[in-house]
Amino acid sequence: MTNLFEGKNVIVQGMTGAHGSFQTKAMLAAGTNVIAGVTPGKQGQEIEGVKVYDSIKAIQETNQVDITVICVPAPYAKAAILEAINAKIPLIIIITEGIPVHDMLAVNKALKGSQSTLLGPNSPGALLPGINKLGIIPANMSRRGNAAIVSRSGTLTYETMAGLTDKGIGQKYVIGIGGDIIHGMGYKECLELFENDEEVDQIILIGEIGGQDEIEAAHYIKGCVTKPVFAYIAGHHAPEGIQLGHAGAILGSALESADNKTKILAESGVKTAGSITELITFIASARG
Amino acid sequence: MKLLEYEAKHLLKTAHIPVPMSRLIKLGDTLPTPLVLKSQVPTGGRGKAGGIIMIDKPEDLQPAIDKLLKLEIKGFTPKTLLAEEKLNIKKELYLSILIDRWSAGIKIFAHKNGGVEVEENTGFTSWSIEKKSQAEAIGQQLADYYELPGQTFALQDLTENFYDCFVKNDATLIEINPLILTEEENLVAGDCKMTLDDAASFRHVWNFEEKPAEVNFVTINPEGNTATIANGAGLAMATVDAAYQAGLKPTNFLDIGGGANEATLLKAFERIVKYKNLQAIIINIFAGITRADEVAKAVVAAKKQINNLPPLFIRLAGTNYEAAEKILTENNVALLPNLESALHAAKEVIHD
Repeated sequence: MTNLFEGKNVIVQGMTGAHGSFQTKAMLAAGTNVIAGVTPGKQGQEIEGVKVYDSIKAIQETNQVDITVICVPAPYAKAAILEAINAKIPLIIIITEGIPVHDMLAVNKALKGSQSTLLGPNSPGALLPGINKLGIIPANMSRRGNAAIVSRSGTLTYETMAGLTDKGIGQKYVIGIGGDIIHGMGYKECLELFENDEEVDQIILIGEIGGQDEIEAAHYIKGCVTKPVFAYIAGHHAPEGIQLGHAGAILGSALESADNKTKILAESGVKTAGSITELITFIASARG
Repeated sequence: MKLLEYEAKHLLKTAHIPVPMSRLIKLGDTLPTPLVLKSQVPTGGRGKAGGIIMIDKPEDLQPAIDKLLKLEIKGFTPKTLLAEEKLNIKKELYLSILIDRWSAGIKIFAHKNGGVEVEENTGFTSWSIEKKSQAEAIGQQLADYYELPGQTFALQDLTENFYDCFVKNDATLIEINPLILTEEENLVAGDCKMTLDDAASFRHVWNFEEKPAEVNFVTINPEGNTATIANGAGLAMATVDAAYQAGLKPTNFLDIGGGANEATLLKAFERIVKYKNLQAIIINIFAGITRADEVAKAVVAAKKQINNLPPLFIRLAGTNYEAAEKILTENNVALLPNLESALHAAKEVIHD
């Protein structure tokens, strides 16, 4: 199987927006092959020397597109994602935050039986240091290596990555799956990718309160992952029933608490930490 | 955003789901009895708290209105009272529709026993529904499940309208509890809880009593000694966790969000300084979309503009870090190399 994250030709949907243009610049600086941008009605503009088109189709007339990074505002996100699915783009990364749940349900329906894999929404994207920067994870804090990070939170991902880099531990993958209730790739798909990639030797899982994704991940790790896994779950002091930032970060029941998730991960053979600092210490000392 | 009962029922009625005849009522209004007077508060357990009163005689109405307007239920006093016709209840059922995280889809839940005790019940039956055309079959199965074969058509209509109402209003939960079967063999929504998706507010005109809950600023302990400011929900949660671990008493969770600027940060400072035992502020920013120099500018502005600002312990990293470092150094504001040193330094100044 070809690695979706190593796809060459990258486009940015919503390139002409403030975030879109800023992040296009950062992706180009990190060496990502951004071949074009899409903003309906803005065909002919250039951002950082990259041409903007009205549609994905217009780009595909001359180029194959492997990956799209979507930065369009939430009200237009559904249309942008559906356009990418229809254009059969293999990897669709959605940075946009605040997409209505019902829009994501419609996207999920369109995704079934399609040729696309979704990462996000409300995701910082994926960074494969030295290979591809797909989204907003700051590349200057990373270094190429053999650790692999998967996380529901953007900034906690950066924090962990930078902490590892400080200790001289490089990363093969840094992936944010996003903090929304309805999302594309989950922990399981990322764990599978890491387990099957020979270059990866340590796996780091970062979770938070709300939902049961981390519990599902724990079961998967127990059954299918042979590499060492380290985990930290944020929100040990979260009040019940109150949303903390992310749409998905709401403690519905004791089952969804940081304490319970940490416990189940530990029972599944994962080395769990009480803080990001402790997490990094564990990873570093495991390397000896 | 959670709706009050009368607002939720208005949306049900618009979707052709039967609700009791009703009026909003205030002191001095007269209505024929019998009727049911219901306090409109955004919390459960209203019946047990005395927030629902049956009125049989006209002379009991005004004292009951007066009583309910003054009755505090779990910290809420109503702005609005709802007067409804009294139904002749034959049977109480449960019906809800919601976004199910586990299956990443929409599910309908039913239970044969509706009413106030439903939270303690187990043994719900559920159906996944992806499109309106499935409603007919589900309605048929609901009739079988409720053992109400005579209500098959009604339940098919109800399921179809229920699904429509859910999707059209961008709801994440609608709960009809109880769903009442009257002695006259009509199905009527006795009570209704509805939650709408705040993210969808851009395509609706929503004028409800309750405003969307604030998700980025949450007080954890108003008596605490250390405020936290971070960007990103995960980092904000982790900062609170780390502050607890370090033996500090964090007052709040605060995610200033991606792309936060000087104005957003100044507002945050103004709110934070109101905690009465506040002795330190931890700032933990890992800039991605946010630019570290914007944060630095805000810190400098806050130091100039806000009186009685407790000591700041700042840790910054990420996008535009160098520019931020320059701004802070020029203004004699110390930067700490990591969160642990910031927490440690904060601990030094705290005296309770």
